[in-house]
Amino acid sequence: MMEDQEEKGNAENGIGRQKQVKDEYLLQFLDSLDGYLTLLDSLSSTLSQGWLELASARHAMGASRINGALLDLKVHAAATSLKVSEQDVDSMESQPCFTLCKWASSDNGERSSGEEKSLSPQLRHRNNSQLSEEKVSTRTGTPLILVDQQQRQKSLSVFGVLVSPKLRSAQLSFERALETLVEIANLHTTMLSMFEQVHKELENTNG
Amino acid sequence: MANRPQIRTAASALIAMIADEYASSVSRTMQQPYMFDHLLMQVHCWDTVVGFLLAGVGNVDLRRKTNYLIVDSKTTIKQIEDAFKEFTSREDIAIVLISQYVANRIRFLVDSHNKPIPAILEIPSKDHPYDPAQDSVLSRVKNLVSVESVASDRR
Repeated sequence: MMEDQEEKGNAENGIGRQKQVKDEYLLQFLDSLDGYLTLLDSLSSTLSQGWLELASARHAMGASRINGALLDLKVHAAATSLKVSEQDVDSMESQPCFTLCKWASSDNGERSSGEEKSLSPQLRHRNNSQLSEEKVSTRTGTPLILVDQQQRQKSLSVFGVLVSPKLRSAQLSFERALETLVEIANLHTTMLSMFEQVHKELENTNG
Repeated sequence: MANRPQIRTAASALIAMIADEYASSVSRTMQQPYMFDHLLMQVHCWDTVVGFLLAGVGNVDLRRKTNYLIVDSKTTIKQIEDAFKEFTSREDIAIVLISQYVANRIRFLVDSHNKPIPAILEIPSKDHPYDPAQDSVLSRVKNLVSVESVASDRR
């Protein structure tokens, strides 16, 4: 009888632990969903600001100076790219983690690291000034901050040498939008992963 | 550990874009716009792609292939589908940004993409704000929740 009671207790503990795990997955899923929607809202605002600044720049500089005909179709590599690494979720699963590498320069004969921002949900490094202070010079001795400015200027130069300040502001707005998008991408993969877990748990419960 | 799905890692991957131009007939028929109207027209012209190109994501490879597609009134569904298939099959692209308005035109293809890389992100465009109800991932979640609630009611 004692053994029966012990077995019953163990079974109840097991069910309790299972329920705890299910609740944990559900909570993580709901958290990531909430974060996803919040960031999308933030992205919409940032993009709206960027569009308005671009329109103001076009108004100031003239439509002929800001139009699609000027888009650079010469062979060139993207100055802003992504680093994709693997992040362990548990022993059976891993998910990609995106890191934005802004204005990585290949002009100095070597690839400098540019401004790397790891924007995974767990590491919300948003302190730009801290990142700038920690930057190291490239081998040629040019500070990375200057390299970033040179790359930004190169991107703007498609529209002429003298550009409206609004165009520069638009560039910064779209850079911010890119950072938000990378955060969204990381939350997107987390959300999908948690969604699969919850789905699996629900199927196990029903099956 | 042996059965873990492989994640394609990359030291330097690209962001691809499929965005829509303002396709309304208003911008096509206004031949002599007043100053204010001209500004309004221009606000809507493929600013999303231009903006992100300013941020440095533009890439043109040796075959003169770009990592973006601007969808206008002349772009066919087949062209959009081909671009989407190309961007999602390229090894060097990690994220595909697609206007939700364009995504709705190839919804079946977008919904059938289930690989973690590239991540498909639906973004708003100027004349078509983001609608969570149409998002590929969120509508999947909504379906699951509604199926489960019906199943639990029956039980």
